[in-house]
Amino acid sequence: MMRLQTEHPTRAERAAYLAEALAGLYDGPAEPAATPGGRRAALHRLSSFDPRDYARTRNDVVRRGVSLLSPYLRHGILGLAEVRDYLVTRFAPGPGLAKFVNELAWRAFWQLVYAEKGEAVHEDLEPAKVPLRRERGVPADVEQAATGLVCLDTALRELYTNGYMHNHARMWVAAYLQHWRGIDWRDGAALFYRHLLDGDPASNSLSWQWIASTFSHKPYFFNRENVERFSGGAYCATCHLAREGCPFDASYEELAARLFAE
Amino acid sequence: MTNAIVWLHGDSLSSVDPALVARPEAPAIFVFDEPFLREARLSFKRLFFLYESALEALEGRNGFIYRGEVVATIRTFCVTHAADEIHVTTSVAPRFKQYVQQLRSQFKVVVYQPQPLVPWRGAAPRRFSAFWRRVETEALRPTGSGPQAYAEQSP
Repeated sequence: MMRLQTEHPTRAERAAYLAEALAGLYDGPAEPAATPGGRRAALHRLSSFDPRDYARTRNDVVRRGVSLLSPYLRHGILGLAEVRDYLVTRFAPGPGLAKFVNELAWRAFWQLVYAEKGEAVHEDLEPAKVPLRRERGVPADVEQAATGLVCLDTALRELYTNGYMHNHARMWVAAYLQHWRGIDWRDGAALFYRHLLDGDPASNSLSWQWIASTFSHKPYFFNRENVERFSGGAYCATCHLAREGCPFDASYEELAARLFAE
Repeated sequence: MTNAIVWLHGDSLSSVDPALVARPEAPAIFVFDEPFLREARLSFKRLFFLYESALEALEGRNGFIYRGEVVATIRTFCVTHAADEIHVTTSVAPRFKQYVQQLRSQFKVVVYQPQPLVPWRGAAPRRFSAFWRRVETEALRPTGSGPQAYAEQSP
């Protein structure tokens, strides 16, 4: 065992020190994310979050009407109940506030399931509802955020550099890896867990199972129309594959036939 | 007279962690779980976030951060501080339960429960929709403890 120093005055000095002190215990560059740790930063984010438009804007991957509180909630720096109490006593009841509390409840639900199932959350909890390919290992182009699909590469780059991915983009990336690329959801979940500041064994693995259909009644997948809608068309406008070769450019019926054929 | 220490971990890393608040004079410890991290290969960003959060949680008190095997490190920490009680906030993680069980062979472990979003007894429903239907009304009702805590802690 080794005692770590706690005296470094600046963030850069702390990062340089920690890189040495924890050598051998992490992969990748020794660079901190922009998101600061600690409760002061958490409270600052909470006090600047306005949930009134949340229901309408939360799924927009570009505009992002989200709270960015998840790293703090995951590590118990903020509690679910106190965040709810703080918001409910400051904002009048409305669809935005209700939807945000509903999202807090998702975390409470995942924790309940984790308490009950333990490490089993990292394996299929139910049989898949569609044929799933189970290839192992994350492909190099995904590891490098170089799939050529702007909607996914943008999200992956942010994951690798900043430890964050918008929730709706997580759904796209997860569905792409499992359903389009046939990668076992457990390897996709491991990739997210390594990078997300809010990476939580329960929320992460169970959400991947929700995408895969091993903890839901059907698989989640999406099409180009969904990407355009929830990005205001921003990604497709700069994507080389948008005119020809977009794997998402089809109706849900066509995609289901293509992805889940026996 | 018993001596206590407070154990902070990655599921409860707040300056108002219930165990920290309950024992303001006790020395406190956070341990980077070496065998786990060696296996998990997390990004540095995650570890730095934990470090920054632990530093702030331990600010202004007798607090220590270690790298090592969690149970052995806490045991040594207790011996150093002549402590026979460990105060810690709970986690549902199986690893946490194992560590508590191992520590209980030698120490009294006092486990604190953070305030839940909603009280719940029994098994989890199979789907979130069933859970939400049962808790929706209560989930949207304030319990009164949060805002006060914020008033004291706001930057």
